Amino acid sequence: MKNCVLLTIDALRRDTFGCYGNEKTLTPFMDSLQEQCLRFDRAYATGPYTQASFPGILTSTYYLEYGKQKNLPAEKTLVSEVCKTKGIRTAGFHSNPYLSAYFGYNRGWDMFYDSMEDDVTDLHPFIRGDAIVKKVEEWLSGHLRENSGTPFFLWVHFMDVHEPYIPEEEYLETVDKSVSLSKEEMLSLFKDVIIKRDVSNPDTVRLLKKLYDAKVLEADEYVRRLFGVLGEVLDETTVIFGSDHGDEFGEHGGLSHDGKMYSENVRVPLFIYDRERAKGEVYERPVSNIDISPTIAHLFGIGDVDRFKGGSLLPVDEHRPGPCFGESTNKRGHKEKGEDKPIYYCLKDERKIILDEGTGEYELYNLERDPGEKKNLIHEDEHAETLKNELQSWLKNR
Amino acid sequence: MIDKKRIAELNGKIEKSMEIFEQAFERFRPEETRLIWSGGKDSTLTLWICRKYCSEKKIELPRAFTIDEGDAFEEIDDFLHRYSREWRVRLDWGRNDDVLKAAGEKLSAEVKVSDLSERNQAEIKRIGFDLEKFPFEAESYVGNHLMKTVVFNTYIEENHVKAVFQGLRWDEQPARKHDPYVEEVASAYLIPAHTRYRPILHFTERDIWDTTLHFEIPHCPLYEQGYRSLGAKTTSTKMSDRPAWEQDLENTVERAGRRQDKEKTMDRLRKLGYM
Repeated sequence: MKNCVLLTIDALRRDTFGCYGNEKTLTPFMDSLQEQCLRFDRAYATGPYTQASFPGILTSTYYLEYGKQKNLPAEKTLVSEVCKTKGIRTAGFHSNPYLSAYFGYNRGWDMFYDSMEDDVTDLHPFIRGDAIVKKVEEWLSGHLRENSGTPFFLWVHFMDVHEPYIPEEEYLETVDKSVSLSKEEMLSLFKDVIIKRDVSNPDTVRLLKKLYDAKVLEADEYVRRLFGVLGEVLDETTVIFGSDHGDEFGEHGGLSHDGKMYSENVRVPLFIYDRERAKGEVYERPVSNIDISPTIAHLFGIGDVDRFKGGSLLPVDEHRPGPCFGESTNKRGHKEKGEDKPIYYCLKDERKIILDEGTGEYELYNLERDPGEKKNLIHEDEHAETLKNELQSWLKNR
Repeated sequence: MIDKKRIAELNGKIEKSMEIFEQAFERFRPEETRLIWSGGKDSTLTLWICRKYCSEKKIELPRAFTIDEGDAFEEIDDFLHRYSREWRVRLDWGRNDDVLKAAGEKLSAEVKVSDLSERNQAEIKRIGFDLEKFPFEAESYVGNHLMKTVVFNTYIEENHVKAVFQGLRWDEQPARKHDPYVEEVASAYLIPAHTRYRPILHFTERDIWDTTLHFEIPHCPLYEQGYRSLGAKTTSTKMSDRPAWEQDLENTVERAGRRQDKEKTMDRLRKLGYM
């Protein structure tokens, strides 16, 4: 039985990848893996920010199922719990507070590192990818020494792309030589512009995007190091990698990642790397991050898991495409509040419908003709009623 | 019931803890030290071992220190009162009266920063807040800092305490895995220098219960009701209705949503722009 690695990169936009058409070479290493990957061209997150999206990735459930709770609800089963009961060694390494033991994400791991006890700085308020990779290396060598022969499920999550966007000089220079900001100035941009969601100056927004791009380049380097650490184990390992959501740079009047369900936030990169089997295929039908945990269970030969709402993406020729759904709250600004109302989306073929329960308003976009989701067709698209029904019936039956 | 082999194993672990106390008392006089006693299972075992050490070596038992965060279980208070009497432990209670007063002793009441003492105001600035008011609640980052960390530091400073004993364990959470038995805390702004000793680091949750039950060490009745880990009253939750020691200790999580993990988590969220 093969091992499985799940690598997730926080707030990483799909359109930064060369393999998805970006020409700036921000992801050279991940692009270089494509010959040995199955690439999902239309993958969607189940929510536009970590708390809304990660239940989809690690528990194959939607955010608000079982109500909005501070901790991960007991009714949800982490894929680590499923793997552990089957005798697979489980290890998770990350630095996102919303995925920490405090919020209940430490269930089912033989090894769980969430970094919350470690000191961080304002400039890098997380443990960086290179240090995470070192911890993985230490754990992996111990695992191979003591439990060699026992398959493992390893989850690694990088925070390096997440704001504040304070890239190292070498990466910023590659993205744009002419930009020269001190780290303190970059931190001020975070405090004065990003946190305030101030998009009034398009030049500032463009500058922020350059800093972000430099962070993407940096994260790509840490992915290269992670693959280096996995080394020979890669022959017996399937690596699923992608992101939990994107990030906004003014496309819909905001910055960072609020409750909005537009493509810059919910359309995500997704790849399955398998040296033996994958041959650079591209799967073009819509898939959802809700299918990641069922795919991991499938790879370990574990049958259907009752509590999982998604289905395995493998084998891909047996995959049955259905609508993709997402759920979050309509938060605007950097913190969820009690009065935030749910917001949902349903995506089917080339159309996406969004329902904001706060306003009761629907929006409908034709993603093929209007990928930027600028023209709301709710009153003119002939499929509007069908999509409304699809969304409502999902809400009723989930 | 546990077998002889297991009892020998537990005795070995107690011996190891005694060595840590020995190290501490080679450097510090008992009156320079304090044992941090929350009334929970870990600090109670630490105290029990400390008493055993002190009575064998015929030295004075250090004073104990407990922090009242304004949100305590009555069962814990009762437990501390009862066993400090029975065990003849001189127990000091620390409270941030200034904050409690400003909050009218009521959870979730709004506290105005300008109503607080200079020290408390400086502490709020130190952890990076520029606030006019905050809610007094077990969950709040500022409240937690003021009610716990500040009370601890102030007590250490005012009583010239040189060393403290803490009942932390390596298996409490993976992040503790590399904690040392002895840690020197350097002095910094508003933080007095002191040494921290952690005599029971090597005890697992299972070891704690096997030892507590075998040696009939008292424990707070809340554990019988299913609590695995006791923090503030409004933030501690039962994991099951079965006594803690009958639960699946090896495969489930001991600490879920405990308040002391909150502080660092909230600080991270704030730095990431979320709070």
